[in-house]
Amino acid sequence: TAHSDPNPNHVYFNSRGIWATYVIFIFITHFIVLSIPFISMALAWTLTCQIHNVITYFWLHWEKGAPFEPLDQGESRTLTHWEQLDDGVQFTANKKFLLVVPIVIFLLTTFYTRYDQIHFLVNALSLVLLAIVPKLPQLYRVRIFGINKW
Amino acid sequence: MSVEHEEQFEPTPYVVAIITYIGYVMLAVFGHMRDFLRNHGFEKNLIATEPARTKDFVPLYQNFESFYTRNLYRRIRDCWNRPIRTCPGAEFELIDRKSPDHGWSFEYPGTHTRAINFGSYNYLGFAETDGPCADAAAAATETFGCGVGSPRAEAGNLDLHTRLEATVAEFVGAEDAIIFPMGFATNALNMPALIGKGCCVLSDELNHSSLVLGARLTGAKIKVFRHNDIADVEAKLRDAIVYGQDRTRRPFKKILIVVEGVYSMEGSVTRLPELIALKKKYKAYLYLDEAHSIGAMGPHGRGVVDYFGCDPRDVDVLMGTFTKSFGGAGGYIAGSQHLVALLRQRSHSGLYGASLPAPVAAQVVTAFQMLMGRAGPPGEGARRLKQLEVNTQYFRASLHRLGVIVYGHRTSPVVPVMIFMPGKIAAFGRETLKRGLGTVVVGYPATPIIESRARFCLSAAHSLDIIDRSVQIIDEVTSLLLMKYSRRPPPAWTAGITREWAEAQLKLVDQQRRPHGAANGGPVPRRPVECRGDPPDKVADENDAAVKDNLAAVAAAS
Repeated sequence: TAHSDPNPNHVYFNSRGIWATYVIFIFITHFIVLSIPFISMALAWTLTCQIHNVITYFWLHWEKGAPFEPLDQGESRTLTHWEQLDDGVQFTANKKFLLVVPIVIFLLTTFYTRYDQIHFLVNALSLVLLAIVPKLPQLYRVRIFGINKW
Repeated sequence: MSVEHEEQFEPTPYVVAIITYIGYVMLAVFGHMRDFLRNHGFEKNLIATEPARTKDFVPLYQNFESFYTRNLYRRIRDCWNRPIRTCPGAEFELIDRKSPDHGWSFEYPGTHTRAINFGSYNYLGFAETDGPCADAAAAATETFGCGVGSPRAEAGNLDLHTRLEATVAEFVGAEDAIIFPMGFATNALNMPALIGKGCCVLSDELNHSSLVLGARLTGAKIKVFRHNDIADVEAKLRDAIVYGQDRTRRPFKKILIVVEGVYSMEGSVTRLPELIALKKKYKAYLYLDEAHSIGAMGPHGRGVVDYFGCDPRDVDVLMGTFTKSFGGAGGYIAGSQHLVALLRQRSHSGLYGASLPAPVAAQVVTAFQMLMGRAGPPGEGARRLKQLEVNTQYFRASLHRLGVIVYGHRTSPVVPVMIFMPGKIAAFGRETLKRGLGTVVVGYPATPIIESRARFCLSAAHSLDIIDRSVQIIDEVTSLLLMKYSRRPPPAWTAGITREWAEAQLKLVDQQRRPHGAANGGPVPRRPVECRGDPPDKVADENDAAVKDNLAAVAAAS
């Protein structure tokens, strides 16, 4: 790479307009779900919340390594994308943003589902387990029961 | 005019950035889909896979790491590694290839394409098959043979090498120089000989991977500063001096600032006068990698030190390569007698690697002699330097007027033109080749994700007609691909740069055919030791005092 940082995954999330693109993708997903005729409003919002949490879980906390060969001699092969962002530094602006977005979606979803119990339970579980717990600094490089270690 | 006013890096337009990201995400989605189809047998799988008997072993390679190569690069890989069948001068002939299966394999129909060469680092046009350099290389092959077969310390020291070292030292303005057969190794394997653990390396963000590898091999503490940001360098220098090493807080033994003269991916120029002032103030050392600027910048071609009018003795380690401007291979390090003597003893590359082969050394020596006016037709060196300078400014000005985003400094012969979107990378490469222009396109991950670009390397071998034709081709292609993103007016310095200006400049050199002054191998006129922040006024015109002197000298001598 032309940059002395051997893995571009560390820095690309600081690029111009990437936060806006992330939000735009969420909007696009939401509109696609909303345009399916037989889904109610509450179900649409819950679906958006679930789809978002599942996809971001796979993108940030399951897939390890980089889609190209970085020059770091394999240091990032066992790291998930979340752990590679900003080279492992915690509490950066990017990490705060990525933590806040699922919470905001959850709050909007609870509003639009009119605080229905089952919807709330399902959304809260997916928020906590898939979106919040993996992002905590205490779980940096932790693999529970060795799942997804290599 | 200061350096800042002559270079620009127009930021990516916001909407373009968003569309670029969406493009990459779509490519990733399709890539995953196609991988799924291939892995489950719905689509022919042409990827190299492990044999069945090793399926239960730990996998050799991570499948994900080759995702980009498999799904993005492979589909457009006809834009890179194009085989050529002639000397890569101003124009070259490419062997045509077609891919019937989207990049998995190539067929060769046997035809050739003649194209303008903007991909080779041929700044002074020394990539030629005849001329004094080629004759010297042939003569050296007859005397010494092709290879050397030994490191310099054993039996591989030819008198050619000693002559080349003396020539390099004189050209660059240093006390002594040492040469190495490989440019990358010059950086990577000599930094460990100069610094070690307990030292600090301040390295520019965009330094070449040879410098990064060299810094890592030393074992020193590496601090990376933002590109060309002198305030950042000063802040990190002060931190290094005040806080010392990491846990022990002992002072660093040496602090080395590592920068390049011209950065080849951006076309930007380092802030040499400020760095020299900084290093003198804080007693640090300066390592200047002039791979792309030696021979290509400066009124006498002596690199970025010459361009700013600084004293070469102020830079502690002057490194450069022979690959770009001199048509050879290998690199050199020049500096004080003491430094070079140390490197002769301690350099890993110099002691263990074979030395520079004789024909290459002869080619490079002759190229240097031509630049100093001691070989070849009279005034040839000055002519090449002037042609490169005129070509660079004319090309850049024309591109600015087209409305594309061009990065870099006004006099840098590396011209990046921004493409941004991944689909357009391949389209630009292919469309320009169809119209007879061969250029290099670069995308993520070699560049930042929203800054993919096409990179043009100007050469003294290009004539003004070639440049006009290329600008026309680029105009066509960028209109077709909607690549004219620039929202700023062309910069102020492009105002007077026209074809007439270029021809007038070149005629000026023709008038100075009688070699004199620096082109005669004499001492390069140097500015006083404390170098100013402003570079010398750019292109000489009839009113320039030096030109007037020269013309007077020519008139007096004739």
